[in-house]
Amino acid sequence: MTKLTRGAIALPGTSLANRTGSWRVMRPLHQHRAAPCHTACPAGEDAQDWIARFDVGDWQGAWQALVSANPLPAISGRVCPHPCESACNRGRYDQPIAIHSLERYLGDMALQQGWDYPVAPLDAALPAVAVVGAGPAGLSAAYHLRRQGFKVSLIEALPQAGGTLRSALPYYRLPTEVLEGEIAHLLALGLDWRPHTRLGRDVSLEELEQDFAAVFLGPGNQKGRRWDVSFAVPDTLRVGLELLHEWMRMGTVATPRSVAIVGGGNTAVDLGRILKRLGAAEVHLITHERIPGPGVADFDAMPAAEREVRQAIEEGVVVHEHRSVRRLLLKGNKVIGVEMVHAKKLVGADGRPRLTTFEGTESVLHVEEVIPAIGQQVDAEGFEPLLQGRPFIPVDAYSGAVPGSAKLFAGGDARGDHGTVSAAVGDGRRAALAIARRLRGQGELNPETRATIGFEQLNLNYYEHQPRQEAAVLPPAERVCHQEVESGLAPAQAALEARRCLSCGNCLACDNCWTLCPDSSVLKTRERASDGSHYVFDYDYCKGCGLCAQECPTGYIVMQPEY
Amino acid sequence: MSAEHTISLADLRAKQPRFQGLTAGHRACLGCGQALAARLVTEAAGPDVAVANATGCLEVFTTPYPESSWRLPWLHSVFGNAGAVAAGMEAAYKKQGKSTKVIAMAGDGGTFDIGFQALSGMLERGHNVLYVCYDNEAYMNTGVQRSGSTPHAATTTTSPAGAARMGKRHMKKDIVTIIAAHRIPYAATASVAYVSDLRRKVRHALEVDGPSFLHIHAPCPLGWGHEGAATIEVARLAVQTGLFPLIELERGELTAVMPIRQPRPVRDYLALQNRFRHLFSQDPRAQVELEHLQALADHNIEVYGLLGENADAQDSEGADTVQRGGVRWA
Repeated sequence: MTKLTRGAIALPGTSLANRTGSWRVMRPLHQHRAAPCHTACPAGEDAQDWIARFDVGDWQGAWQALVSANPLPAISGRVCPHPCESACNRGRYDQPIAIHSLERYLGDMALQQGWDYPVAPLDAALPAVAVVGAGPAGLSAAYHLRRQGFKVSLIEALPQAGGTLRSALPYYRLPTEVLEGEIAHLLALGLDWRPHTRLGRDVSLEELEQDFAAVFLGPGNQKGRRWDVSFAVPDTLRVGLELLHEWMRMGTVATPRSVAIVGGGNTAVDLGRILKRLGAAEVHLITHERIPGPGVADFDAMPAAEREVRQAIEEGVVVHEHRSVRRLLLKGNKVIGVEMVHAKKLVGADGRPRLTTFEGTESVLHVEEVIPAIGQQVDAEGFEPLLQGRPFIPVDAYSGAVPGSAKLFAGGDARGDHGTVSAAVGDGRRAALAIARRLRGQGELNPETRATIGFEQLNLNYYEHQPRQEAAVLPPAERVCHQEVESGLAPAQAALEARRCLSCGNCLACDNCWTLCPDSSVLKTRERASDGSHYVFDYDYCKGCGLCAQECPTGYIVMQPEY
Repeated sequence: MSAEHTISLADLRAKQPRFQGLTAGHRACLGCGQALAARLVTEAAGPDVAVANATGCLEVFTTPYPESSWRLPWLHSVFGNAGAVAAGMEAAYKKQGKSTKVIAMAGDGGTFDIGFQALSGMLERGHNVLYVCYDNEAYMNTGVQRSGSTPHAATTTTSPAGAARMGKRHMKKDIVTIIAAHRIPYAATASVAYVSDLRRKVRHALEVDGPSFLHIHAPCPLGWGHEGAATIEVARLAVQTGLFPLIELERGELTAVMPIRQPRPVRDYLALQNRFRHLFSQDPRAQVELEHLQALADHNIEVYGLLGENADAQDSEGADTVQRGGVRWA
């Protein structure tokens, strides 16, 4: 027996010998769920991810994360209708994060600093791929293929790259310097750039299929859709898209004193704003749909971006919602007015919305000219058979693969089911990934299946209301053709805005789990842990109470049964 | 991010950037509010502290022979004399010329009831001790018997809701006012749901010269009848309803309160806990008791002036706003 002398001490054992983890029936786990902004982004950007980098002052890292999906942030930050902001969980708390402003901020910063796109070196073992059309879809496809080491030939009919960005986006929305800057930056990546090469005239699709392992088509919608109406139209009728193209090229177009533009898309809205700037006293927009905004169903909203419609109205464009054109009032060959009637898309028995007009609601608008801007279609020269008699190219909705072809992919406006720059960028990216998989023998590309985190899964007790930082907008009276309407955020504003991000579904490194665990079973790491967070669960002691999951502001911790 | 490297959990635990006076492996129930509160107090106070711990859950779950979760000088007294033992420890350190800070820790039973005279004596003699009361509103360690701290209408094993009464007949003892009447330099209430506020109060209490008292509301999932995961939510609602006001008193005078931005109805707090389940029954007395508890909350809001005029960064909704990187205000 040990004899204790006077003054001796016995050191107690530590309770660390008692592994309370054996009590556990539920286990906390980190689960990185997709933020709604990511799920909503047609280009596939993960705004939560790049805003997190922005928030810690890693601007270049943020830009690199951003361009891992979208190589044109300075452009899309200006022209995208940003569905990410409509989806943003913060919108249900106070106001959504101004994602477009931050995107633009990073895009501009990259141009200013001359940051290089991160791309893999050209891999001689990989086959060459052709991309036809240097609009947003083609540029994105070429970039994403080049990023992975593929040799890419970028074929464009016109002397310059840009597609719709160059032919239809006015300076006040997208300054030429920004467009030129981002495109030049992209073309400098070592693409085989072939301008002045028109499909069907200078090169045939068969030749391309022979020479390249895969071909991506991003022809865009270059033709204004014909106005297919039963009433008489003057033979001097000018079509919206062509008028817009003319103005983009020439800087001016013949401007009537009063005009009615028929259509609710961006072409109609831009044309209205341009004619207003050129001095038209009255500009009317006649649309089947409503002005987009909260509470307006997608099928019933004008396809134009909400912000653009709002600014057009500020500038004096009059929007006639829920109206259809019944006929034109002609004096000889000259338009003197237009007869409108109330109209609405009603969902029929088959579940599809159909336009219905209401007799007895006719009214007359006195205008000197009527311009249809009712959509656009593919100029299919050189690939007519692909359309199979339709006005667009049918493709696999996710990968853009042309059914029945081993080599052909298509995307952008020409696929007919969407019409924004970011959707085109997304098409190009997914097609590039699908092409790369196919050419590397890795099989087909599968859609992302990560669950999206909802507003209800956040713990809002840990956030504080903060007003959204808005960029300065020119007052309507000062808006002219060659000055951008919206300016960028100041650096301090951008930092505040990035801080507002709730970090939905991803670790905020806020220390809540570490601070609140009653069992000291959440350990903090200085470096990132292998799952990307900053904390590790010590399952030797974690009893599985679930406090960390309950109090995690971002919903990044879930509880899973042990057995 | 530097190159990938691995570290054992034990090493990582040893390197945690906070004072770990109370470590893992203790036998507290899942989601124990007191275990959390004791860890937070120790962290904010350490490392040069010594603890006198009255009998109660904390003592039992941290020190089953031959193990201890404490990594600081710790002394178990009996149920009723934490104040007296802490006073002795403080005097001994003073005699040795040491600046080690002494903290007495006890539950509501050891403070409101059994240990009250020793506490009162310690305060009256002016010992430089921080006395922390973890208030879980009943004798939880012995099986949920009512204490002087059990709120009105709560059911416990010795104040059961039934035909005779709707839970506890009497009111919760207003301990902090009684303590403040000793005219000590600093007395305050805190909650495990408001960590930054709690830490600041611990630091402030240790800075003052003379006795200080901290009354921490710490939910007991077992005794209150809620999920362990809900501990913080329950504690937060106690504050946001006005049932547990967060206040500070210096020399007996009210000097600060945590304003409530938007008072929540007491129902929200009560409905989460089985000890108030009878208040949501069809019994006609239930409605009366609900109104009674609401009136008690309203009374607190009125007498302490808890209603904030404007949204404040340190009110009941702004106080624990988190930021990327774990930056908190205290």
